[in-house]
Amino acid sequence: MKNLVGTGVNGLDTTLYGGVPKGNTIIVEGNPGTGKTILGMQFLYFGAVQYNEPGLYITFEEFPDQIYQDMYSFGWDIRKLEQENKLRVITLTPQVLMEQIKNPDGLFQRLIEEIGCQRIVIDSISLFHFYYNSKEEQRKTIYALRNALRKYSLTSFLIKEYTEMDQEQVSFVNYLVDGVVQLKLDHHFENYRKRTLEVTKMRGSNIQEGEHLFKITEQGIYLLPALSMVEDETITSLDVVPTGIHKLDRLLGGGIYDGSSFIIDTNSKSNYRFLLASILANRMKAGENVVVLLSSLNTIDDLNGTLKLFDVDLEQFVEDEKAIFIEHYNRPVPEKFKNATINVVGLDDDKYKQLLTEKVGPSIKNGIEKGGKWFVYYDLNTIVSQRGSAFLKRYFAEEVANMSALGISILSLCNFKELGQETSSFIERTSNGVIRTWVDGIYQYMQITKTPNGHNSEPFVVENINEKPFIRLV
Amino acid sequence: MNDHHNNVPLQLECTLYFEKNPYAYETIEGLALRLGREPSDLSPIVQHLVSLDIIEALGEGDSAIYHYNQPKIASEVDLSWEQV
Repeated sequence: MKNLVGTGVNGLDTTLYGGVPKGNTIIVEGNPGTGKTILGMQFLYFGAVQYNEPGLYITFEEFPDQIYQDMYSFGWDIRKLEQENKLRVITLTPQVLMEQIKNPDGLFQRLIEEIGCQRIVIDSISLFHFYYNSKEEQRKTIYALRNALRKYSLTSFLIKEYTEMDQEQVSFVNYLVDGVVQLKLDHHFENYRKRTLEVTKMRGSNIQEGEHLFKITEQGIYLLPALSMVEDETITSLDVVPTGIHKLDRLLGGGIYDGSSFIIDTNSKSNYRFLLASILANRMKAGENVVVLLSSLNTIDDLNGTLKLFDVDLEQFVEDEKAIFIEHYNRPVPEKFKNATINVVGLDDDKYKQLLTEKVGPSIKNGIEKGGKWFVYYDLNTIVSQRGSAFLKRYFAEEVANMSALGISILSLCNFKELGQETSSFIERTSNGVIRTWVDGIYQYMQITKTPNGHNSEPFVVENINEKPFIRLV
Repeated sequence: MNDHHNNVPLQLECTLYFEKNPYAYETIEGLALRLGREPSDLSPIVQHLVSLDIIEALGEGDSAIYHYNQPKIASEVDLSWEQV
């Protein structure tokens, strides 16, 4: 993997997982007024100031003194950087540029060497259309330009204006370069406009896909990566246990934080077995004690079998008094699990709460006093079907508050659609994170719609694989 | 009319353009486009500015490129634009 260089726009670096690969040639395209020149100059200014990478800004049409003034409004003193040999704003024509690029020991090479140039912006390559008549000549020229930029290992932004033709077909230039960044100015609600940036191509780097909103502020371009929400400041724990699903962990900032409450919202067709088992297995491998509220579809035997696939020995956990099961149904319980199972069949709500307080409460308290951690898994659909949604609302908020105060992490399974809008909204509000999974047509999808760190995700397709954790998000 | 002695305003216009844009590299054709002047009017003026060391020529003939010859003193003086 190539070295990544910061673009000077933090949000853009986030969407590129660190920055643009050093030496890449990147098209920045958009209609007039979309912020191309500002993005180009921000790339050079912060390159010089923050990363000690001197840069050249080559403009074919704009006068440099106009650029000095425009950029000063963002607090960027370009002339000062020119005096320090960290930046140059050059004006010449495309023909002169190409002649000097081809000329050994020409002006271009001299300028590069004079400041130790590592970044370059050319504003704009659309002007080549006017200086070179045939398509073939234009293509050859752009190709020669790209090769020269690569020869000097320059990380380059080539600014390009949209033409009507570009909107109908992809320009040949976009095939030649390493990256394409598109800037747009679209209607937003009734009376507003919104600026968006989308990276549609970047060789040597992953991309967070989609259109990202940006604003032109007093400090230049400020980009908000898509699906960013406000951070949940109530989660202060730094201890995090991975879910075991790589992409999920990356989006969650490492996994599920201690003391947080997460929901898995699933529809009736989707398979959540491996997601649930992976999360549970990783908590158990991290040494946590577990409480599991069993559902009608999930017996202790089922759970035991699934956890074995993740190399977790549930029987050993029971023997070590590190696992408790809550059973709402009259089903046979394997001998080894009997002491760890609390049967709540037929109990009214008060007796149910009382029994849990008496039986589960002391175990948790003892465990915590000895420095242990607890992880609780609830099947909320079972609580609703057995005790009603009014009980769930009353009970769940109280449970989450009490457990969170003790640093206990909670994972709850439910089906928002079945719970109804009011109950679902309540449950969602009470939780720190929501992972949705659903089947739509012939694919199963998974999406994070709420997280403590505010980073939500796009919908991923769930792919079954033959090794742990048996699912992969694509 | 093309004689630089008779065209001090154009001489000033050229000098100011290069002074304000110290990294402009222009052919006579390019400069004519920037200033909205005729190349034939500009040519003797530019040659005169070269002889005065105000601008420097890279190359010869029609393809010669002209750029500002920055006074040595410039590096010791703060010329940031807002204070000009």
